[in-house]
Amino acid sequence: MNFTRRELLERCAAFGAVTLVTSMPLLVLATEWDEAEKKRQPTPFCELGPFYKRKAPNTSMMRVPGDSGMPLAVSGVVYNTRGEVVPNAKVEIWQTDNAGHYDIEGYRYRAVVEPGAKGSYAVESVMPGHYPTRVCQHVHYLTTAPGHKTLITQLYFATDPVFDGNPDKNYTRDPLISSRELVRPVMIKSDPKQIIAAVNFDLVMETL
Amino acid sequence: MCQLITTAFVLLGALSTFGSSKPVAKVQLPCDSSYQDLSPSGTQLVVHCKDHSVHVVNVPEGTERRVFSADQHANSFLYSQDGSWLAVGFENGTVELVRGQGTAQSKRWKASSRRIDMLYFFPDGKTLVVGPVDSPAQIWELGDTPALRASLPFEFGGLNACAVSPDGKLLVAAGDDTVLRWYDTATWKKTLENREFLLETFALTFTPDGKHVLAGGADSRITVIDAATGREVRQFPPEADSSVAFIDVLGDKQHVATVYFDNAGEKPPHELLWDIATAKSAALKTDVPLTCGAVVGGKLWVCSAEGKTLTMSQCE
Repeated sequence: MNFTRRELLERCAAFGAVTLVTSMPLLVLATEWDEAEKKRQPTPFCELGPFYKRKAPNTSMMRVPGDSGMPLAVSGVVYNTRGEVVPNAKVEIWQTDNAGHYDIEGYRYRAVVEPGAKGSYAVESVMPGHYPTRVCQHVHYLTTAPGHKTLITQLYFATDPVFDGNPDKNYTRDPLISSRELVRPVMIKSDPKQIIAAVNFDLVMETL
Repeated sequence: MCQLITTAFVLLGALSTFGSSKPVAKVQLPCDSSYQDLSPSGTQLVVHCKDHSVHVVNVPEGTERRVFSADQHANSFLYSQDGSWLAVGFENGTVELVRGQGTAQSKRWKASSRRIDMLYFFPDGKTLVVGPVDSPAQIWELGDTPALRASLPFEFGGLNACAVSPDGKLLVAAGDDTVLRWYDTATWKKTLENREFLLETFALTFTPDGKHVLAGGADSRITVIDAATGREVRQFPPEADSSVAFIDVLGDKQHVATVYFDNAGEKPPHELLWDIATAKSAALKTDVPLTCGAVVGGKLWVCSAEGKTLTMSQCE
């Protein structure tokens, strides 16, 4: 049985599990509680880097058959700090190929996705490679939305060998990783055709 | 990397312009160092140590004027063109102006909460452009107390490069957002934009006559832009898999020295000398690894560090 926050509070109060020491009505209390739980911290900033390219294609499929590297599926929802979905966001994503090379001439592994009213986005790619001037595998994000501060950040992978299996302890091995939050767990999924590394990366934008 | 690239440029200038060199000083370094910044007066050296500390030393004595320990996170260094100030940018967004000559007190202020990646002195040394990472560029007038005169916004990101016209009336700024913007330095109002670049510009310079701006970046090539209209005039051929990191017009006004870095980070920077009239280039090769250089009294000085001994030579 699912209770609303208000019903739960009423039952707890009735059975003595909660003692109310406030004159606020239960409905207001429940609403405040809900609001507090929905609040989100903004996604930490992580710098843009030198290989951003304008006018990337609108696509959710960045890999093509035959590409080397572990297939990667990244998905998430664009929120504001109140926990509400941000409609009409635009998410630009770019990364290296599995060998650690950015495509400068064209738009391989570059995409724009527009999450729409539901705020959710999903892209298919491959695990980016390592390259000499950066420590960790990463995916760049540039997220814009009307009325919101532009979010520039990078996604990292908890499975990156650089972390030696302990990203909590070792995430600072890449000096550009500004927050442990940017290092996301990787779920390995498989179907009869392939194995895919799946990552959830919600984006939380600050309002202007 | 910028300092290394600048060093590579200096080497380019040395080989292309001068035939021989004579030793002018030997300096004992306080540490093992891969690169240094030489002041335009030739009397100071910023020594970047492999332990990430930075030492400002007198030349040729090697005595220390200032030490920035590794945990101070000094990130960017630039001497004013007359050598009177050394600007230092820190990871915590602080900027410090250290007297290059004399004993006047340094000036230190918090310019941003972000790391200072870019510093650019106006030729008169009285104005400093500060570029915090992923933030608007800041224009500071360096009176007794530095004062923020203007903030130059980008659509996103921060300042990659800037250049002031020879008459000092225009500043061109290149942002992470790939847009070039022209500003009137009297009013700091934007006067022009160039949105033709898809990739970021990392290096800018005016031609000595002020008529053109040379821009180079991740698109691997130099683009010649009409300074009056902001429109592209022509492009030099690209260097495959490389980004332009540094551009400057040599003293003969006919050649452009350019330093490129390898996009994959696998090869060391390389240098080309472009003939502006023909858009043909020549590669420069070096026998000794140079670690710093500057124009001192109109002459090019270059350095080579071996262990903790740095040899400084004047190119003839």
